[in-house]
Amino acid sequence: MRTRLGRNWRCARSPDALRPPLVISHRDSNAQRVAAICEQSAALGLRRGLGIADIRAMYPQVEIVEAEPDADRRLLTSLADWCDRYTPLVAFAGSDGLFLDITGCAHLFGGEQAMLDDLGRRLTEQGFCARVGLASTPGMAWAAARFLKPVPVAPGDEAEALSPLPLAALRLEPALRTSLKSVGLRTVEAILHAPRPPLARRFGAGLLLRLDQALGAVDEAVSPRLPVAPISVERHLAEPVVQGEEVERLIFIMAGTLQEDLVRRGEGARSLQLSLFRVDGVVKRLVVGASRPLREPALVLKLFRERLTALGEMEAGCGFELIRLSVMAAARFEPEQSDMVAGSRSDDADLALFADRIRARLGNEAILAMTLVESHLPERAVANMPFTGQSISASPETAMRERPIRLLPHPEPVDVAMAEIPEGPPRNFRWRRVLYRVARAEGPERIAPEWWLGGEDDEPTRDYFRVEDEDGRRFWIYRHGLYGAPTGTPRWFLHGLFA
Amino acid sequence: MLLRRSGLPSSAQTLTTGAARFDAALGGGLPLGALTEIHGRQTRDAGAVAGFTLALCVRARKADSRESPLLWITCSEVIAEAGRPYAPGLIHRFGLSASSILLADIHRLEDALWVAEEAASLSGFSAVILEIRGHSRKLDLTATRRLHRRAQNAARPFFLLRQAGLPEPTAAPVRLIVSPAPAGERRVLSRFLTGSIGPPAFLAEIGRSRSAIPAKAVLEWNQDECAFHERPDLADGAQDFGAVAALSGERPHFAHPVGAQLALRKIA
Repeated sequence: MRTRLGRNWRCARSPDALRPPLVISHRDSNAQRVAAICEQSAALGLRRGLGIADIRAMYPQVEIVEAEPDADRRLLTSLADWCDRYTPLVAFAGSDGLFLDITGCAHLFGGEQAMLDDLGRRLTEQGFCARVGLASTPGMAWAAARFLKPVPVAPGDEAEALSPLPLAALRLEPALRTSLKSVGLRTVEAILHAPRPPLARRFGAGLLLRLDQALGAVDEAVSPRLPVAPISVERHLAEPVVQGEEVERLIFIMAGTLQEDLVRRGEGARSLQLSLFRVDGVVKRLVVGASRPLREPALVLKLFRERLTALGEMEAGCGFELIRLSVMAAARFEPEQSDMVAGSRSDDADLALFADRIRARLGNEAILAMTLVESHLPERAVANMPFTGQSISASPETAMRERPIRLLPHPEPVDVAMAEIPEGPPRNFRWRRVLYRVARAEGPERIAPEWWLGGEDDEPTRDYFRVEDEDGRRFWIYRHGLYGAPTGTPRWFLHGLFA
Repeated sequence: MLLRRSGLPSSAQTLTTGAARFDAALGGGLPLGALTEIHGRQTRDAGAVAGFTLALCVRARKADSRESPLLWITCSEVIAEAGRPYAPGLIHRFGLSASSILLADIHRLEDALWVAEEAASLSGFSAVILEIRGHSRKLDLTATRRLHRRAQNAARPFFLLRQAGLPEPTAAPVRLIVSPAPAGERRVLSRFLTGSIGPPAFLAEIGRSRSAIPAKAVLEWNQDECAFHERPDLADGAQDFGAVAALSGERPHFAHPVGAQLALRKIA
C-alpha cells in the first residue's frame, strides 16, 4: 500500500477526501475477516473481526486490501532502524510494536517527556498512527502505549496506573482473557489484590508472571535487534546535508572524536559502521572492515571514501539529518615505535590498508588469498579465501605432484578422435574448435572421486595426462571413465594449462 | 657517478633472466622498477605467458630480501577464458608458497586499473602482475605511463600481461613477446629421458626496447637454480649439432666432417 501510494500517503491532505475508506482483510479460521481499518471505516462503524462479505454488502465503496504480513514486518524493521536514533537498544514487541530501552539516553533529548513528544511527533510526520508510552518496565510501557496518555509513568506508580485498565493491558492470550471475563474479572484491579495461589491454580502461572513483569517484581529482558556498538559518535544536524563532501568532512570530525575514545581504551577499530539517517526516515548503513586495528581519522576517512565511491550516487534525497559513526568491533592496538630516519610505516601496514581499501570499494571477494585444502580432486585442492591480513599458513606444501599453473573454472570437453586403447593418451584432440596434435604425453595419473565425502557412487575415475602439442603448449587433459566400461564411451576434458 | 633519468636516480638495478646472452641483448636485463609488458599472441598460450612472468617474479622475489608477496590482478574475463592461477602448480613449478600470492579478481577493467595503480605505488609487494585480455582503450599511453611512474617510484617490477593482443603503443620501456616452446626432457640419473616433458621452455622475443637489440631466444626454466637457461635451438650457427669426427692427433687440421657419400658410376 505504502509502495503504491508513496511514503506519506496518509499525510497528503488534498486527496484525502477522495480516498475511499480502507479495510485490510486477512484469512482467519477459513473466513476473510477484517484485520485492520482506517479512521474513515471506523467512522462507518466497522470494526476488527467482521466478515469481509458483510462489509461488501453493507458498504460497496470500501476498498479492501489483502494483508501482507511480510511487508508489515519489513516496514516495522525499517522503523526499528529509524528508532536507532534514540537508543541502540531496539527490540520488536510482537508484530506491531517496538521496545526502546532508553536507559541513559533520555537526557540527550531533553528529558523523558520531551523525548516521548519528539518520538510521537516525528512518527506522525512520517505518516504513522503511532501510540507511545514510557515506563520503567517493558510490560507497563506496553500497556501505557496502548491504554494511557503519552505521559511517562513514574517508577512506583505502576500499580496505580494499571488498576483501572482492562486485562488486555497485561499482554494475555485471548483464551485466558475470555476465561477471566467469564468469572467476572475484567480489570487489572480485580486481580491485583486477589489472593495469588487460587489465581495461579486456576489460570496458570502466565497470568501472574505478566502481572509481576508489568509491576517490576520480575525482571524482563528485552533482546535488542542489532548488536550494540561499544563506541559511537553522532551528529544531529540542524540543516540536513546532501553533498558527499560534507558527509566526508563530518566523518573526519567524528573519527577524530572516536580516536580519543579509542586511545583511552587502548584499542583500535576493526570494523566501523556509518549510519546515515535521512530526513524521510530511511536509514542507510555502510560498514567497512579493517584488517588491522586503526584509529587515524585520515585512514578511517580513506576507507569510507572508497565505500562511498563504490556506492556512486548517494541517494541523499532531502538530505541526512543525523549521522552516526560507530565502532562495531575493536581490538587491542599495539602502538609502534616509529622510525626516526625513514618516518614511514611498515610495508605490512601498507598492505593491510591497501587490502582494506580494495575490499571497501570492490567488495570482500575482490582480493583473495589462496589456501591449500587436503583433497585429491584438483578443483577442491585450493580454496580462495578473502584476504584478511593474516597469512593463513600451516598447509602442507611439500611433496606436491605436478600440477598446472592455471586451472580452468570448469573442465572443458575436448573431442578426441584417436587415443591409445585401453588407457593411453590421445593422439590428437580438438579444443575450442582447434585441432592439437600431441607430440609428447606423460601419464596417466588416476584420480578417483572422493567417495568418503558422499555423493554419487558411480562417478567414474579420471585419468590425467600431461600432453604437449607440436608448438610446445602443455595441457592437462583427462579421460572421464574407461574404455570398454559398462558406463559407455569415456569423454575427454581439458582441465588446466601448464607453464 | 649517478645517472639521473627524468629526475630519478637510475642505479644499475636490473632484473636479469639468468641466460647470459639474452640478458646482454636486453642491455643487462630488464629494468627493475618499471612497467614491463609481456605479450602472448593467443589465449591458448596463456599458460606459457603466465609461467614466464611468474618465473621473472620469482627472480625478483629472490632479489628482494624480505620475500614480500606477489599481487596478481586479473580481469574476470581472463579467468573465464584461461583459468585462474592454481596454487599447487605454482608451488611445484616455481616454489611459490600459497601465502606468497594474493589474487585480485576484478570484474571491470576500470576497477582493475585502479587497483593496479594503487598496488604499483606500494613497496610492500615484490612484484605486481596485471593481466588483461585483448585490447582496450582504457589502457592507453596515459594509463600505462601512470603505472610506469608509480613502479619507478616504488622500485618494484610491474608486469603487464596482455593475452591475445597485438602490440599497441604503451609507456613500457621493454616489451617481450612470449610463446611456448617444446619443453626440455627430464633428467634421470644424468641421462635424459626421451619422450618425457621436463622443465618448461619459452620462446621469448624482444618486441621493443630502448636499449636492446632485437633478439629471440628459447629459455628453459630451471627451478633448482631459479634461473633461465638458454637452449641453443635458435642461436644461429653458433653451435654444432650431432657428432663430429675426432681430432686426429698428429695432423694439423681438423678432420673434415663426414658428408654424404654418393656412389657414382665410374666413367670408363
